[in-house]
Amino acid sequence: MNTLLVPLLIALTLVVGLFRRVPVYDTFVEGAKEGLKAAVRVIPFLVAMLPAIALLQVSGVLGALVNLLSPLLKALGLPEQVLPLMLMRPFSGSASLAMLEATLKATPPDGYIGRTASTLLGSSETVFYTVALYLGAAGVKRSRYIVPAALLAWLAGSIAAAWFCRVF
Amino acid sequence: MMNIIWALLLIGGFLGLVITSNVGADGTGALLDAAMNAVSLGIRLAGGFALWSGMIAILEKAGAVRAISRLLAKPMGLLFPGVTPDSPAGQAMLTNLSANMLGLGNAATPMGLKAMGLMADQGGSALATDAMCMFLVINASSLQLFPSSVISLRAAAGAASPASIVLPTLAATAVSTVVGIAACLLLRRRSLI
Repeated sequence: MNTLLVPLLIALTLVVGLFRRVPVYDTFVEGAKEGLKAAVRVIPFLVAMLPAIALLQVSGVLGALVNLLSPLLKALGLPEQVLPLMLMRPFSGSASLAMLEATLKATPPDGYIGRTASTLLGSSETVFYTVALYLGAAGVKRSRYIVPAALLAWLAGSIAAAWFCRVF
Repeated sequence: MMNIIWALLLIGGFLGLVITSNVGADGTGALLDAAMNAVSLGIRLAGGFALWSGMIAILEKAGAVRAISRLLAKPMGLLFPGVTPDSPAGQAMLTNLSANMLGLGNAATPMGLKAMGLMADQGGSALATDAMCMFLVINASSLQLFPSSVISLRAAAGAASPASIVLPTLAATAVSTVVGIAACLLLRRRSLI
């Protein structure tokens, strides 16, 4: 099922596109160009974050932090290895992508921890960045309950990620 | 905010190296290895990114954003007090939410900012309205239906089954969005702060 999913989605997209008389090949090539540009844009962020994470790992700081917070995480049903990624998620999308890369290097991508980390990344957004950008654009100064509510959603999504990876 | 976090990560890593004076820990090697790995990772990811954004472009041209907007119009009336789906702000909001579901960040953000601007003109104060709060919390809870960049990264990391996280991701995203909406509805009543 999982190996068929992506080919199936692609086939469906093409059927819908042809049905709607979209010039599918030309449109695909135009869109792919944008995807390439996006990947190039991500590279500087990866170069900023991956060495920083590597230094934390090799110096033992990351391990100490994870040990410190692991009782709290265990109580929430979260594996301790996903902590760095979980904490980075509300701040930066590309930094958490770099964290996921580091996690998947350290543990097998298809294992429980690898899957939970992957799910965690997709289950929340960059809360602080989104809120700052949108409120700034609207000229709104007082955010009321936005940040607490969004962080509650982030925590619930993280716990749910660990839980669903155990079930599915 | 990232300025401080990033600097703290690197300074903390350096201090950790000094304090533990880890036997055999090679800070220089780790830093440079990771930097080179970052570039090759970006190049490997480019393939997956390009494939998916090409496909999404086809869906976009086929009218997927409009189709999802139409589906969302009814529930939207219930969630956002004072914003009707056919008002300009409501239209911008619907386009933003639909584009986000497809993973079209580049299309979603300008529409979201437009919606916020239009709502601010209506409200006319520096205080976020209940509709703005709900809109932002939903945006921050992730709506993307298909986690394409995570799948690309998993494939680049050598996962045997990169797409196996689609189902749990959808479920976890649903939980975070529902909790965000519920939190807004609860906090809406008791707060005039």
